[in-house]
Amino acid sequence: MGIEETLNKYKWMVPLLQKADRETRSTLMKNFRQRKKNFFPEGEFKADVDNLIKCMLCPNMCRFDCGTLQATLTETMSPAYKARIGYYLTIGKIDYADSEFVDLMYKCTNEETCKVWCPFDFSVVSLLETVRDDINAKGFMPDFCKEQIEKLKNSNTIEGYNIFETYKEKGIENIETKGKDDVFYYIGCESMKFPEVIKANIEILKTAGIKFSTNLDKKICCGGPAFNIRDMETAIEFANKNKELIESTGAKIIISDCPGCILTLKERYEKAGVKIEKEIIHTTQYFMKLINEERIKITKSIPEEYRKITIHDPCLISRNLNDTESIRNILGKIQGLELVEPIYNNENTHCCGWSGTAHWADRDLAIKQAQNRVNELKETGVNIFISACPLCELGLAYGLKETEKEKYNILDISEILIKVL
Amino acid sequence: MDLEDFELIYKENRVKIKDKTKIESKLKTIVGLNNYSTKKIDILAYTKDSTLIGFNWEIEGKIAGIADFITWPETIEQISEILKLANQEKIPVIPYGEGSGVVGGAIPIYGGIIIDMKKFNKVITINDKNLTVTAEAGINGMNLERYLNTNGYTSGHIPQSLYTSSLGGWIAHRAAGQFSTKYGKIEDIVLGMEVVLPQGEIINFKTIARASTGPQLDKLFIGGEGTLGIVTKATLKIWPSPEKRALISYAFPTIENSFNAVREILREQIYPAVVRIYDKSETARHFPDIDNAKDKVMVIFICEGNSRLVDLEESITREKCEKNTGIECGEHPVEHWLETRFRVTETSSMPPYKIVFDTIEVASLWDNAADVYHRVLESMNQIKGVLMTTAHVSHFYPNGVGIYFSFGGVPPKGNSDLKFYQECWDTTIKAVLEAGGSIAHHHGIGLNRSHWMDNEWGNAMNTLRQIKKVLDPNNILNPGKIYIDTWKRSEI
Repeated sequence: MGIEETLNKYKWMVPLLQKADRETRSTLMKNFRQRKKNFFPEGEFKADVDNLIKCMLCPNMCRFDCGTLQATLTETMSPAYKARIGYYLTIGKIDYADSEFVDLMYKCTNEETCKVWCPFDFSVVSLLETVRDDINAKGFMPDFCKEQIEKLKNSNTIEGYNIFETYKEKGIENIETKGKDDVFYYIGCESMKFPEVIKANIEILKTAGIKFSTNLDKKICCGGPAFNIRDMETAIEFANKNKELIESTGAKIIISDCPGCILTLKERYEKAGVKIEKEIIHTTQYFMKLINEERIKITKSIPEEYRKITIHDPCLISRNLNDTESIRNILGKIQGLELVEPIYNNENTHCCGWSGTAHWADRDLAIKQAQNRVNELKETGVNIFISACPLCELGLAYGLKETEKEKYNILDISEILIKVL
Repeated sequence: MDLEDFELIYKENRVKIKDKTKIESKLKTIVGLNNYSTKKIDILAYTKDSTLIGFNWEIEGKIAGIADFITWPETIEQISEILKLANQEKIPVIPYGEGSGVVGGAIPIYGGIIIDMKKFNKVITINDKNLTVTAEAGINGMNLERYLNTNGYTSGHIPQSLYTSSLGGWIAHRAAGQFSTKYGKIEDIVLGMEVVLPQGEIINFKTIARASTGPQLDKLFIGGEGTLGIVTKATLKIWPSPEKRALISYAFPTIENSFNAVREILREQIYPAVVRIYDKSETARHFPDIDNAKDKVMVIFICEGNSRLVDLEESITREKCEKNTGIECGEHPVEHWLETRFRVTETSSMPPYKIVFDTIEVASLWDNAADVYHRVLESMNQIKGVLMTTAHVSHFYPNGVGIYFSFGGVPPKGNSDLKFYQECWDTTIKAVLEAGGSIAHHHGIGLNRSHWMDNEWGNAMNTLRQIKKVLDPNNILNPGKIYIDTWKRSEI
């Protein structure tokens, strides 16, 4: 808000203040002057105290759409309470050694539905990340976070082993760069668990005649987990290695099948001082572009068993990349395909439970959140769930009961697209 | 960290629980291990509701009240068993919905067992022919409304707390929504209920449009504030989503002009869904950019429903406004209200400056509405430390109104924030009673108004106390509210 707008907004208070007696005015002025002295901690801290206070004093206007609260159905998981605990940790009212309170700072996904409804336009996870900075600085990083960092350091991926090395046994073709590619297909760690998706993406790129590489022999994690945990030293180390790899390809466009990788490469690297001067987009967005340019053409009709589908919009595509159209535009081009929207769709989509740190901090919580989302998708009466994010596809699978796994099919958009080219 | 590190505001009358281990074991058996907690992190989460003074305490590291056990029952039988146990052991039970109450109704001031209703969150059925929805009482208001909207309906009950309140909370506090002039208040909307009585008996009020079957006993639980029973399920009226909406606004020279215009509209049996009158201070606050409203009283209207009826309602609304010297202000003020009505920032912005801020809604008939308004403002302006008292009027009937006062100030030297807060509350309530008004319109009684109940009800309050005693002989259900002077009345 600009100065003029602020003055205009609070102009109504002037006559009221003028009417107040001297002592009242003086007390009020003192309270304004001493706000930080009264309520901010002493010494060095990274926590965003100003906004933690705003969030904790809000009557939880985003509570109805908070995935972790709706999964647990307990006040303890409410967004304002998380901010309250973050504030109390920061001012020393609660000790960092009290692990049940520290752990709460990680029981939040990166879904950012809160931001949609927040009167202050911030997301709770972004506030909690600043509390995590102080937790790390004071040496209280929880063990479940340390485990992830260890995995990253030991294997260069979040899996505890180098999942990219499994490409041969999974039948995934590796295309090494010769330094003059048009596109670098940046495959996410979690995408490696879905070889059919990667194969479909490679096939689509080949069909379009794109000069691209995958560089799986050199590929490492984007460092997203370290950014979530706020181990910035590790995060920046991964950012620099990835920048080097990306630049070695000569590609102008980086496409990824993982929205988490895109968020990290685009936004988080830049905030950490590592800027990648490339166009970085999701495969869905790139495929839409290829369709528009008629470099790929939809020529076949959709097989009968895939005619009726529903969409699970990944949070990071719909609310971070602000793109709910690409996936629908692609599906809209497929003749005979019937799309049934779930109750919460587009920018109001709900999280699968598998983004951010919540699934490390409390696996049962993440599974419950996944079940909630799966139930919303099942209410459409459709058996095929289409998404565009490996973490979502992983999370949704956790949301299905063992006995339901035969009945429901979770597919990536590329697996549908390849069937009609 | 110890919870004792947090200064406790309501310390008196806490019930001493003799054998906590035994109670723990029994509660675990009733609700299961996953639906029970005595962890510090959970206990601390249930120390507050949304009473505005509570936000000042929160930033200062104080807590209003503290429970001993938290439970999240999943079945009505579990609630019944908890209540039976509480009666045997004489332990308070506090029903908790979404914690959006603003008069302390869900604060566990005597300690005891919290029954969080959040797991009662399902929509059971929509009946298109009867125009009803049946849902469990713990469902969040916005989630219920979104479900209805997706299916082409609305409940018409849209309080400012929609995002942060529950169906059970609406019923408990006899709530009213922003669109209530057309769709009615919660007591007009509820057609059937399932209730667990304080001693564990489960009763049902069957869903019916209207019946002549003796006294309306069900109404006892609408506004019972969780002291007479716990509502677990309700059937509500619903409406097809409106076909048309008309947005209208007029500015008037005085509050009396605006009252006359709205009263005359309602006399014609025209019921705009939304009618909101803002006094001059609130008009300056909310509509600083509307030139026609400078130093005036803004009134906004939304007429909605069948398009032919909306056209007629709009025409009569405009006619009455213009007859009463209203100046047309266009659609923009209404659009602005629609955009900002859920953007609550005051609770966050005032406490860091130690400003004590709150709202008090009261009711009156038309013939004393202006008197209630002026008397409250005059009385509040006498209180040392009060910086502002303003009002809007947001609920209307052919016979009267609900007036919503807002006040803010800083406690003078030597006064605690609670003492100052109580003085402001008591001053307002006293002025309202003197002007012939009623002490609450739609937020309920809770802690903040319980000591005025005898003045409000007269000797009928004895009857209410007797009913409470019959239903809850051990006084275990939400004690400290409605029937007792938890706040000792300040001298005013």
